[in-house]
Amino acid sequence: MMPTDISDLRLFVIYAWWFALGFSLLLYIMLDGADLGAGVFSLFVRDPDARGGVMAAMAGTWDANETWLVVAGGVLFGTFPLVYGSAFHYLLVPLVIVLWSIMMRAIALEFRHHANRSTQLWDGLFGVASLTTLFFAGMAMGAVLEGYPLTSGPVPTYAGGMWRFVSPFSVWTGIGAVIAASLAGSLFVRARFERTEDIRKQAAVWVDRSFYASLVAVVVTVVWSLLKFPWAAEKWLGPYVWAWALVAVAVVYTVFRMRRSSRLGRDLFAILWLNAAIAIMWLAMMVTMLPWLVPNTWTIYAAASPSVSLVTFTMAMGGFLPVMLVYNWYQIWVFRARISKLTGYGH
Amino acid sequence: MESATAILLSRLDFAWVASMHFLYPPLTIGLALLLFFAEWRWMRTDDEAWYRLTRFFEKLFIINFGAGVATGVTMEMAFGILYGPFSQAAGPYFGNVLGYETITAFMYEAGFIGLMIFGWGKISRGMHLFATFNVMLSSTLSAFWIMNANSWMQTPSGVELRNGIFHVTDWSKAIFNPSFLSSFAHMWVAAVELALFFVIGVCAWQLLKRRHEGIFAKPLKYALVAAAVVAPLQVYLGDDLGQVIGEHQPAALAAMEGHYHTYNKDGSVNTGWHIVAWPDAAAGDNRWAITIPHALSLIETHTLDGKVMGLDQLPAENRPPVWVPFYGFRVMVAIGFFLMLVAFYGAWLIYKRRLTAPYTGASRWFLRVAVFSGFLPFLAIWTGWWTREVARQPWLVDGMMRVEDGVSRMTVLEATIWLVGFMIFELVVWYFTWYFMAKVIRHGPDLEAPVLRGGHESLGHLEAEPEDDRAHPAYERP
Repeated sequence: MMPTDISDLRLFVIYAWWFALGFSLLLYIMLDGADLGAGVFSLFVRDPDARGGVMAAMAGTWDANETWLVVAGGVLFGTFPLVYGSAFHYLLVPLVIVLWSIMMRAIALEFRHHANRSTQLWDGLFGVASLTTLFFAGMAMGAVLEGYPLTSGPVPTYAGGMWRFVSPFSVWTGIGAVIAASLAGSLFVRARFERTEDIRKQAAVWVDRSFYASLVAVVVTVVWSLLKFPWAAEKWLGPYVWAWALVAVAVVYTVFRMRRSSRLGRDLFAILWLNAAIAIMWLAMMVTMLPWLVPNTWTIYAAASPSVSLVTFTMAMGGFLPVMLVYNWYQIWVFRARISKLTGYGH
Repeated sequence: MESATAILLSRLDFAWVASMHFLYPPLTIGLALLLFFAEWRWMRTDDEAWYRLTRFFEKLFIINFGAGVATGVTMEMAFGILYGPFSQAAGPYFGNVLGYETITAFMYEAGFIGLMIFGWGKISRGMHLFATFNVMLSSTLSAFWIMNANSWMQTPSGVELRNGIFHVTDWSKAIFNPSFLSSFAHMWVAAVELALFFVIGVCAWQLLKRRHEGIFAKPLKYALVAAAVVAPLQVYLGDDLGQVIGEHQPAALAAMEGHYHTYNKDGSVNTGWHIVAWPDAAAGDNRWAITIPHALSLIETHTLDGKVMGLDQLPAENRPPVWVPFYGFRVMVAIGFFLMLVAFYGAWLIYKRRLTAPYTGASRWFLRVAVFSGFLPFLAIWTGWWTREVARQPWLVDGMMRVEDGVSRMTVLEATIWLVGFMIFELVVWYFTWYFMAKVIRHGPDLEAPVLRGGHESLGHLEAEPEDDRAHPAYERP
């Protein structure tokens, strides 16, 4: 599968960028997943001040979290333009809905605290837009796993209709994204509010339910992938089946620790353990897909830009990414304090 | 027919999202600079007025910034969705540059903007000023890369088209393509001028309403004096960019000037500049025009009888449309000169010490004009951008890739869904953005809240054990 006419250096750079792309998406999923999940949760919060509190809880960090998506988009465009140009056309409908949702969510977050009479509107918009972002982004992910047809020619582009992304599997991954984010979101709410706030009790119920739902969702997704995708079955049941078993054990361990931390009220650690579980599963999925970037459609070798260079990679990864990580962290640190609903927006 | 309609719709799709995004970033870029100045004055003088002013304009800045992010994420994805084949082919250069923009500018900006907005009272004054400075620098860097990508489409260099893909042969040539520096300078100064007139407009409105004179009189004067320097500089930079376009994109220039004939019927060079005209693409001529002889040659070549290439030198299928570039250019230039006169007149009033309370007579009229002038730069950047983009047609990458080769093969239905959806959502964003900005302006600066002189978060511990609920730092709302 690996082409032989490719220099070692180019191969290294391609892998390095592939990792950077996966890393940016992973960070986006970990950081914004919680914000989006909290948005879905807020749909079920009765008290308007508490809903405002949920938005206030992410006021200082949501846009920085979201920019990891933009970074992933930038890396994809810059390094794998052949995938960027064809996959986004394939994913026109879900991406457009995600873009509309992100837009509405952003202005809801911005305008909520300037509003007097229209807070209900912004609350609702924020919640619904969080839900649609999750569902359609999840659907897009599932649709990518299924691959898409290409035109023949020197620059193969998407050859298919606008509804091709809809399938039972992609609908399921959309639902799965909502379930998983609900868990992340309710853990986020638990961690961000003062311990005396009522909303934390409601969030505890959500943590419980979405925890079990997420377990089921992960198992269903894994089994379904095993049956549906030969490239996944070949990897998982191949000669390295023991390694994949170890991955599964690691996931089970992190999930167990997450559950225990959450029960003990150590909310920050619950989030960190959850993120560890997500990171392991995400990396495992990336490796499972190799050498495909889009299964049965684009290998990472065929999709890479001819001008990927070690210089730009070193600049970006050695210089900018660490700096971004540091200030992302600094920002989260500055805004780490728990809040009460009344110190949030509007009061 | 179907495909021609779909291509036109795809162009409108992109034009719409770009225009609706373009309402916000220039103000972000320019206002960040002015906020930095105001906050720095506050640091140096400890004058509360500068503090109130900073906090007030920062509120407007945040609303505008939020709308910029909301509409900006779309832009990054829109290339792949609407112009998939172009993104694939030009990815090795164009995608790389946009990637740099996300990493060196967008992400950088997002990191510091949170600190700038919510950091008041949590971080030290120096650290806060540093955050503001970084927001200013990162937004400028963002403009740098975006203008770079766009000017490469105008004057592509340093690349070679092989097997349908643009291979980069010379990075520095591609980055410093012929129109880049002039375009970036013109755009950046436009952002500063826009922000200056925005501030002038807001201050003038407050003074007209006789509110908070102690806060708004001084920045009005500062901004007017700055505008009296920046506005003529912008005219100069515009002329400079015009020279570059004339040299490297003669077709675009001819479209901007409605210049169909290189030579007159008697064989002499056609030097006439049209004030207004009725371009007729089918006839390959203006139906009528009001023309000043020699003016075109003077503007473009700085000589009386210099030759300027007309559209008749191009085959019909390579000619750009004329209406939009011709009138877009004229509206932009007219606004540029009008704003320059406003700035000069304001500076003269200041010099004569007439721009002071109680603002009666000439100065009152001036304030009204100043409020009106606050809106004009938005129209100027729109028309300027439309001129630039339409005058490049029918090329996507000038001389190398035509629009129909770079556009995604969308059906009319797909393209229409996009257009209608984004029309609704982005008009909603625009309406509420300006609605809430107007609300903040009407409400005026907050004079009650204590001045936050900067604090220090203890950077000591992670989460304490659950039983031990130690005092957590209070949450400051923006």
